[in-house]
Amino acid sequence: MSLATETAPIQAATSRRRLSRWRTTAVPYLFVSPFYVIFLLFGLLPAIFSLVVSLYNWHGLTFGGFSGLQNYKILFQDPDFYTALKNTAYIWIGSVPTMAFLALVLAVLLNNKLGRLRGVFRTIYFLPVVTSLVVTGLIFSQLFSGSYGLINHMLSWIHVAPINWLTTPHWMPLTLILALLWRWTGNDMVIMLAGLQSIPGELYEAAEVDGASKVQTFWRITVPMMAPMIVFDLIISTIGTFNLFAEPYVLFGARPIGGVNGAGMVMGTFLYQQGFVYFKFGYSAAIAWVIALIIFALSMVQLRIGNRWNN
Amino acid sequence: MEQLVSTARRTSRSREGVRNLKWSRVGLYFVLIVVGSAFLLPFYWMVVSSIRPQAQFYQASISLWPHSFSLENFRNLFKQSLFGRGLFNSLLLAVAAVVLQVFFSSLAGYAFAKMRFRGQQALFIGVLATLMLPGSVQLVPNFLVMARIHWINTYWSLIVPGIANAFGIFWMRQYCRSVPDELLDAARVDGANEFTIYWRIVLPAIQPALASLSIFIFLTSWNDLLRPLVFLRSRDMFTSEIWLTIVGQNGHLPQPGVVMAGSVLASIPCIMLFATLQRRFIAGLTAGSLK
Repeated sequence: MSLATETAPIQAATSRRRLSRWRTTAVPYLFVSPFYVIFLLFGLLPAIFSLVVSLYNWHGLTFGGFSGLQNYKILFQDPDFYTALKNTAYIWIGSVPTMAFLALVLAVLLNNKLGRLRGVFRTIYFLPVVTSLVVTGLIFSQLFSGSYGLINHMLSWIHVAPINWLTTPHWMPLTLILALLWRWTGNDMVIMLAGLQSIPGELYEAAEVDGASKVQTFWRITVPMMAPMIVFDLIISTIGTFNLFAEPYVLFGARPIGGVNGAGMVMGTFLYQQGFVYFKFGYSAAIAWVIALIIFALSMVQLRIGNRWNN
Repeated sequence: MEQLVSTARRTSRSREGVRNLKWSRVGLYFVLIVVGSAFLLPFYWMVVSSIRPQAQFYQASISLWPHSFSLENFRNLFKQSLFGRGLFNSLLLAVAAVVLQVFFSSLAGYAFAKMRFRGQQALFIGVLATLMLPGSVQLVPNFLVMARIHWINTYWSLIVPGIANAFGIFWMRQYCRSVPDELLDAARVDGANEFTIYWRIVLPAIQPALASLSIFIFLTSWNDLLRPLVFLRSRDMFTSEIWLTIVGQNGHLPQPGVVMAGSVLASIPCIMLFATLQRRFIAGLTAGSLK
């Protein structure tokens, strides 16, 4: 009797201790597991599945037979793909370097002694960043409207005839570039402002003693010191450009997507059109993988250039 | 003598410098104000257009100032679309995204920052690696999966995949590292379990980071157009963003006023959120990018 009653609490204690040890080892895994479960189900498996999808023909929601690299072959002969690629490249050239430069200049200007005004200007420049992408597209389609747009109205003051910004192929990408500059420059500016704080003040003092001008200081000190930040910014913007969807979709209309002659078609809208307007799932998945590879390659190139620039 | 000349030169240079400084200040303000106006003009035009009666858009010359105040556009907006319902759907999706993603990101971020466990390094690199995969790659297969499990046209299709927020975990880990270990140890000695420590000590300590992550998640969800277009099918499920594109492309006659009225309404939640959490947001953005 005595033996039984005496061992029971000991057993309970050891089992409790074992339980608590199990708990402390399991807890971290428990805390991080939701990410992996959801990512596995809706991220990794779909990404792998998407490779498989891209190797098949599809009839609606059902497999239509294995086609190997057929989708990719068709893609590289598709003039629409090259239109989208060309437009995306054009928009990249027009917006990404300009935006990084503008953001850096604005950040440097705001870094002057401005007192309370600094906060005011920073908020103004940042305000577009909290405006939705669809609203951005809509506002710019108003501003650049051929018949009632503000821009044409202002151009009429200097006797420029109205321009159909949104339906003339060679003006369309420019309109999109301006919308992107308005929407995103504030975002990059805040990143640049943060970077500027890490440049030692002595560098500027030394430059001032040497009688360097503001412009010289900007190119000789600020830009090289900000190189890692600029590279980071360029990579983020590049990824953003290849995923552009809402702004061009709104700006150039969805009937047809890409607008007149597809002059407003970019990679993001092309992928959507093929997949969810024409329901060519295999083709759309192939486009997505090509976009992913392009993004990856461009990021690597920018990192390389950034590294060389740093040394 | 030589010294005298050089001091003279220096003083004249510094006087010139003062004059230069004044002019450079004027130039600075000029540039800041011109750029600022360019940034504000689109907002101004949105608001003015939203209260301008439809007929006035097609007059020979459009005026820069609002001459009359009319709610006609707002009335038409609600007549032509379920815009109220759309705003509700957008809000519901964004709030659900914020609550779930902030919770799971901070929980995992805390574990990565403050706990030691086998495979930790590899698991964390795994989180970062997922950032390399562009979301568009998963779009088609996710659609096929959602169709199979009957999640098309449900809130789940948009809420659940977002829970795996690698960026959120990364960000939360950075902030959780700054929570002093003594604080956590003291709680452990008092017999608090890990979840209590997370809930009672870690969360309050990283509040500014939670605020900035919340805005970020809210805006990402609110801005999303691609996924709602793909996954939502019926009028009562559409988000305000989808309704804006529908109203904007309403066939026969463009209705600039109605579209701008909708844009004003859709901007209000985001701007209100930004206004209340502004300082924390910008501070969070900068801190996040510095680390």
